Amino acid sequence: MLEIKNLHVAVDGKEILKGLTLSIGAGEVHAIMGPNGSGKSTLSYTLAGRAGYDITDGSILYKGEDLAAMPPEERAAKGVFLAMQYPVEIPGVTTMTFLKTALNSQRRARGQSDLDAVGVLKLVRAKAKALNVSEEMLKRALNVGFSGGEKKRLETLQMALFEPSLAILDETDSGLDIDALRLVAEGVNALRDPARAMLVITHYQRLLDYIVPDRIHVLAKGRIVAEGGKELALELEAKGYEHIVGQAA
Amino acid sequence: MTALSAIALSEDRRARAAALVQDRGLPHRRIEEWKYSDLRAVLGEAGLSAVVAQYLIRNLPHGMDVWDLSRPDAPAWVTDNFARETGNTMNAASLAVADAGIALRVPAGMAIDDPLKLDFTGAGHVRALLVVEAGASLNLVEGVVAADFRNVGFEIALGEGARLEHVRICPALDGAVLVEEAAVRIAAGATYRGHFTGFGARLSRMELEIALEGTGAQAHLSGVALLDGRHSDITTHVSHLVGDTHSSQLFKHVAAGKGRAVYQGKVTVAKGANGADSSQTAKALLLGDAAEADLKPELEIFADDVKCAHGAAVGDLDAESLFYLRARGIPEAQARRMLLQAFLEDAVAEVGHAESREMARTELLAALEKVA
Ligand SMILES: Nc1ncnc2c1ncn2[C@@H]1O[C@H](COP(=O)(O)OP(=O)(O)OP(=O)(O)O)[C@@H](O)[C@H]1O
Ligand SMILES: [Mg+2]
Repeated sequence: MLEIKNLHVAVDGKEILKGLTLSIGAGEVHAIMGPNGSGKSTLSYTLAGRAGYDITDGSILYKGEDLAAMPPEERAAKGVFLAMQYPVEIPGVTTMTFLKTALNSQRRARGQSDLDAVGVLKLVRAKAKALNVSEEMLKRALNVGFSGGEKKRLETLQMALFEPSLAILDETDSGLDIDALRLVAEGVNALRDPARAMLVITHYQRLLDYIVPDRIHVLAKGRIVAEGGKELALELEAKGYEHIVGQAA
Repeated sequence: MTALSAIALSEDRRARAAALVQDRGLPHRRIEEWKYSDLRAVLGEAGLSAVVAQYLIRNLPHGMDVWDLSRPDAPAWVTDNFARETGNTMNAASLAVADAGIALRVPAGMAIDDPLKLDFTGAGHVRALLVVEAGASLNLVEGVVAADFRNVGFEIALGEGARLEHVRICPALDGAVLVEEAAVRIAAGATYRGHFTGFGARLSRMELEIALEGTGAQAHLSGVALLDGRHSDITTHVSHLVGDTHSSQLFKHVAAGKGRAVYQGKVTVAKGANGADSSQTAKALLLGDAAEADLKPELEIFADDVKCAHGAAVGDLDAESLFYLRARGIPEAQARRMLLQAFLEDAVAEVGHAESREMARTELLAALEKVA
């Protein structure tokens, strides 16, 4: 599904990712953990196609295609979804209008017909209920004045709505209360499918109790420095990054 | 200058207006207030000759009084309000040479829903007067028709407790040079709402001279300039002459290509006008390196205990927002349009008259298709 080889990425001329290699097969859920500033968000932005994240070396293949060659909207239409660590507030665009525009843009790009307003509303309502996203939130400007947890729930709602093949969740659990964490985890688990892959970036072992990953990667200073099964999260929780990062350095 | 005015105006008043114009000549860029709109450069002295600009009433609501300003023996509601003294050169120019003009009145206490639709057409100078008497209310929809050069001198008087909503939507007029001065006097408890959406011209200047003359008087100004090339200048001067008066201004501009958006806004709070409250926001987004925005908010306060907030900002489309929308599958051009529309929306939402608001939205959307 996703094959990243020797990826080097520079932002503003500064190299952040320094030879990252990672591959995720269809049906798998992988987790990335790592200290602040290690390059986790840089990796997720690079996968989603944000401008200014220059790939200076290496390759990213998604379903066998060169991901780096595609603009962000094409990646989205082909099933790449990034739940952002810091969802952007956009005044003047209502959440519902945004969801409808995004959904229909993706459908159009895939050669499907537009859903009408009623159709979109039905779909959104069904998903919103499960994630405890209120009607009132959907009427407000996108993310404007949403609490941290509300923003993360809206990101999860979008993931449920767009049904991506590759979902990247960048600290979607940060700032969530215990109930919301469970709702978000259920949302992710509901999407688990032999045809889908997921990459979950988190600082907390707690999330991985709900979303049990097939594999955990530790990212430090722009490189994967350790890999293992779900037990690795427990070890990190107990001993901290110093231990592992120190060994690798 | 040839003054062959047929407007019924005292010889004396006309002579004073003519003298002012004679003395100053056409405004040009070395005059501070005309720095960004060099009228003399685009017109030469041709601008002051008298040719036939006209008005056209497209819808006259039932109950309004109309008086053609070229008729002699004007009634008191006209003579009391028409041709007030002004230091404004272009306003004086139309007084000195206009050969057409219209006066309109909503009698005291009359609330009119049906909008007054008034267009200005043709080249040259034209005068207009609108009186909304005490307790009366009206929606004015002003239309602009292309002309090589037109100067509109508009006077508006609101009596106590009167309400006027004035909406002017000006299409893109490539070769046109359009200047308009609206001098608005607002009595106690009266409210003026003015909205100005424009798509630019060779030179387009809308000047608003707002006088809050009585306690509780309010003026709310808003507007949008969406320029794919072309020029638009909105110059406002709001005077809080007494205390407990309120004004707000919200102007949003988008300039693409060689578009040039100008906003100059001065708020004056007179001595003793305590408790005046004014806000002023002007923002511009520039699309491309050739576009330009000149935003100049200005405050002049001679009173104590006033609440004034003003700000101006020129920027670019927000890259993070653009990425967010695109990452959710929205194609770049459409995402840019969404953000531009969102940027303009709060200024458009200021239009109370629903039909005009929808018209502004539709025209903005169509124009955004071209710039984004
Ligand atoms: N525009 C930039 N210019 C220079 N350095 C940058 C820029 N953007 C990010 N960085 C740096 O890149 C490094 C990686 O940042 P990134 O956001 O990917 O970290 P992260 O692993 O997601 O951290 P966190 O756990 O705090 O979210 C940091 O040191 C950051 O300061
Ligand atoms: Mg991060």
